[in-house]
Amino acid sequence: MEDLGKIHQLIIHLGGYDITLNLEVILMTWIVIGMLTLFGYLATRRAGLVPRQFQVLGEIFVGVFFKITEDALDKERAEKYGPLVVALFMFLMLSNWLGIIPHLEEPTKDLNTPFALGIMGFVIAHYAGIRSKGFKAYINEYFQPMFFMAPLNIIGELSKIVSISFRLFGNIMGGAIIILVVSHLTYSIVLPPLLNAFFGLFVGTIQAFVFTMLTVVYISVQVK
Amino acid sequence: MQMDVDTLIRVAAFTGGGIAMGFGAIGAAIGEGYTAAQANVAVSRNPSLSGDLFKNMLVGQAVAESASIFALVIAILLLFLDVPGHSKLTAAALFGAGLCIGFGAIGSGIGSGFPGGQCCMGIARQPAVVSKMTTNMLIGSAVCQTPAIFSMVVALMLLFMDFSKLPLFPTWAALIGAGVSTGLAAIGSGYGGGLAAGASCEGLARQPEAGSNLTTTMLVGQAVAQTPSIFGLLISFILIFKTFPESTSLSAAMALLSAGICMGFGGIGPGIGNGMAAEGAVRWVARNIKSAGELMRIMLVGQAVSQSTSIYAMVISLVLIFVL
Amino acid sequence: MAIEGVDIVKAAAFLGAGISMGLGAIGPGVGEGMVAAKACEAIGKNPKEAGLLTRTMLVGQAVSESTGIYSLVIALLLLFVV
Repeated sequence: MEDLGKIHQLIIHLGGYDITLNLEVILMTWIVIGMLTLFGYLATRRAGLVPRQFQVLGEIFVGVFFKITEDALDKERAEKYGPLVVALFMFLMLSNWLGIIPHLEEPTKDLNTPFALGIMGFVIAHYAGIRSKGFKAYINEYFQPMFFMAPLNIIGELSKIVSISFRLFGNIMGGAIIILVVSHLTYSIVLPPLLNAFFGLFVGTIQAFVFTMLTVVYISVQVK
Repeated sequence: MQMDVDTLIRVAAFTGGGIAMGFGAIGAAIGEGYTAAQANVAVSRNPSLSGDLFKNMLVGQAVAESASIFALVIAILLLFLDVPGHSKLTAAALFGAGLCIGFGAIGSGIGSGFPGGQCCMGIARQPAVVSKMTTNMLIGSAVCQTPAIFSMVVALMLLFMDFSKLPLFPTWAALIGAGVSTGLAAIGSGYGGGLAAGASCEGLARQPEAGSNLTTTMLVGQAVAQTPSIFGLLISFILIFKTFPESTSLSAAMALLSAGICMGFGGIGPGIGNGMAAEGAVRWVARNIKSAGELMRIMLVGQAVSQSTSIYAMVISLVLIFVL
Repeated sequence: MAIEGVDIVKAAAFLGAGISMGLGAIGPGVGEGMVAAKACEAIGKNPKEAGLLTRTMLVGQAVSESTGIYSLVIALLLLFVV
């Protein structure tokens, strides 16, 4: 019960500044990156017209998410943002699934990971918006419907980062805590595997999908 | 008037028990009434099936009742349990436990009445798929109970953990806030999950071959609709497990109490809204099964956006706990 | 326990912030859910217009969320400014 709030940290002193590194999260993120790289290698190795098992899986991911991106944006932009969307979903799904393996933890359980991804999506969306509409039209949008609404519009935009990242964090963290507490209450009999399947696989996949979809939606709202 | 600790604990336990059972009975009663009403309509429409309908009504009501049974369990524990710890904080924890399960049983009780009622109506309309309908109803209303189970977990922790070594001020507010947060936030999610489950039973009767699609959409919709109650649970756990430095100022206590109230109320609306979105999606999957994927996608986006206000509430709660 | 004036004001501000954001979240949550339900209905009736309907839904939700953002702003003002 006590290890709930414990985080392994490495604090580096660098010229008057303290840099805090959450070691566990970084390690887990690298495990996910390593697994994805391995998957990419296996899926593209000896790619052929008759796909092998890893290639089929990769083609499903790419096909489904390119289609979704194309629906939300358009064909030309889908070519550009499609790879980002597929990679984002695969990274998040694998991250959310990682907690079901004993001794490993979800990197998304730490607020920093979703927050960084949320900021990334926000910056990309606004960059895409400026590119497609021009800087003047982009700025002008903040003064709609009245000029004095600008501060509220800006807060509204910024709160998108907060909502997208806290949604993922809250779900994964909440799931992890529920698993921990219920396992503790029932002395780890019967329930933990079921809870892991529900919160790890089911909710984890849904939340990865929701995060990815919202990033696409934010881009499409800015572009159109 | 000076009250000794024993009296205070017993006062809190009895009040909490009363609140737990009093509020906890609201939801299940409404839900079961809805089921019975729909069953009556169904019998009048198709009297030859009265045996099947009666059986299904009873099964549906039995599941809908479980939320209030949780409340009953906690109330009995509050009345008769020899609680661990012996300080004024124990009194706060017991009162919080009562509030938590009392509020938490409302939503799930009302919500799990919907699938029962719609299942009876559906059987009258489509008697060939009775067993499929019953299974779908049981799955739907069982998932509906999850928010009430969250409340029960928090209530049990408040009952059985020993808080007596912690400083009385401001931990008393944290414990009551923890109860309020999960309890209130469970109302919306329970009710919303019921809406989705009801729509899936109705849809199954209309279009039995859409069965697996309907169940999947319902489960995904309910899982997302539970997010506000998971946020409530998160805030409760932080309030229970974090050690707060002793401080006799009123503002420190109010910040913690306010964090619970904020997350609790903030979870109600988005929970109901998410349930409505899921209901709409499930209903139209039954009518237009070809667009099931499209509907699932727009449901998820719509639910995610309508959750954002509960996330703002969670952020304010976290600020109240950690920053101030 | 001596309660001073400043302390009471701060306590009231904290409580007010919680109530503002908590109650303020109910309306937009339900409202946006209704928008999403209607959007599902519209897509069920006319799946070809899915893209247009999604965008319309998002705009409608953004507008109905603005009251939630007002609550957030008021809560933050109560916490940090007052």
